[in-house]
Amino acid sequence: TTRLPGSAGAGSLEQWVLVELQGEVEPRGGGALPGSLLGDLHYTREGIPVLIVGHHILYGKVVQLEKPFAVLMKQAADPAGTHYTVTALIKTKLLFKTRPKPIITNVPKKV
Amino acid sequence: GAMRSRAEVDATLRTAKLNPGELLPAVHCLSFGPQGGAGECCLLQLEAGLCAELQAGRSLVIRGEKDEKAVLCSKDKTYDMKIADTSNMLLFVPGCKTPEELNTDEASCNIIHSQIAGFSNNYWELRRCRPKLKKLRKLLMEDPYEGPDIGKDQTSTASKYTTEDLLSLIQASEEEILHQLQVIDACVIDGYWRVLEFDYEMKLLNHVTQLIDSESWSLNKVPLRTCLEELGPLEPTEMIEHILLSYGRKYTDDAGEVYFEMREDKICRAIAQMLLQNAVKFNLSEFQEVWQQSVPEGMSTSLDQLKGLALVDKASRPETIFLLKVEDLPEDNQERFNSLFSIREKWTEVDITPYIQDLCAEKQTVGALLTKYARSSMQNGVKVYNSRRPIS
Repeated sequence: TTRLPGSAGAGSLEQWVLVELQGEVEPRGGGALPGSLLGDLHYTREGIPVLIVGHHILYGKVVQLEKPFAVLMKQAADPAGTHYTVTALIKTKLLFKTRPKPIITNVPKKV
Repeated sequence: GAMRSRAEVDATLRTAKLNPGELLPAVHCLSFGPQGGAGECCLLQLEAGLCAELQAGRSLVIRGEKDEKAVLCSKDKTYDMKIADTSNMLLFVPGCKTPEELNTDEASCNIIHSQIAGFSNNYWELRRCRPKLKKLRKLLMEDPYEGPDIGKDQTSTASKYTTEDLLSLIQASEEEILHQLQVIDACVIDGYWRVLEFDYEMKLLNHVTQLIDSESWSLNKVPLRTCLEELGPLEPTEMIEHILLSYGRKYTDDAGEVYFEMREDKICRAIAQMLLQNAVKFNLSEFQEVWQQSVPEGMSTSLDQLKGLALVDKASRPETIFLLKVEDLPEDNQERFNSLFSIREKWTEVDITPYIQDLCAEKQTVGALLTKYARSSMQNGVKVYNSRRPIS
């Protein structure tokens, strides 16, 4: 049995946001993932999310989730079995489905 | 590493040829948290109502022994859990603001350093399911209560279960478990949930029906007080009251006296079970005669009362009847149908319905179940159902 407590104590559950990207996330230059930078997230004045990851620009959209998510965090294992707690709720996601636009840093000069 | 500065962010925007004038002033610099994230957290997709329950402070519970598939239980519902894979990467970001939140928060800091708490390419999906309650009856039948005279009851508590025990062992929500305990006429004796051993239950019922007969009471107005007075010397008063609650409907009259309206169908059904359990099968007409003679004066027996308890074989000459209890059959849909088709090759809808009704999910009909698990054909002008696959 694993109990997932609801919002315990004062204050409600934190609300997080889901960022959905195509493909896999790999650290730059083969370094470790923890602590490394993913990128800058901007929004246009119309509310469109723009994510700059490495040499790519991704355009996305803000989606209100029809079925929210609960984020379950694993607690330290104990003899009774694995325990999870509900850490946060996610009701919104930033969906990046468009093909990344590469950032062109060198423009060939006209001869 | 060092956190990004406004200057670095602006430089990136220039390289990307994005016009800062078209963007909101605030930027989130996303980086991975110290744990990296994979494996520490996972996502659970919430069905309707569950989000509100969590926000109201109620808990959800995941239940399942090693040999059982895990289910998630809210206060009153049970859900199957299944992993859903996605081809995309899902990152969970605390403190990430949406455009609306940034617009309403004029004083928002220019740079928001957000740490990604975790990421995943799958999540748990929930699907409402029938609570798995067969185990409840099985547990309580390990040690049915046989009455106070049986000395053994004082000793072992090994096969005895409290409410807490049942909550940890049964894959169902608390409300579904408590409701089922009521349905099977379980009662609490010395803090443990018990079902009565059938012979003891019939003994108690017999005390009551004999008293009703000797006092010439109306079956609709059986007084609790007199029952307890007259039968108290014979049986514990809690058991007398329990049998009245199981086989009658309680009400109070204007003077505050408690009475019971006896449930004819349930009493006749119990007496039929008592008769039928003594042999493999009975001659139908003989059974019907004995049965009618065995029920209390003023009650009428009818085969309708035996749905899900006994089956009539109309093909045999003479017609016979035998005990077949739905609660003895498998809980899993396919196994249930296999079992029914091995007992009888072809079933009419009328005959099979009482034996599959409990399999219906929310809003599912018996017809839908038959379409899925059986094949229909016509026999002597009547529609019958048989197995989709050969039964060995």
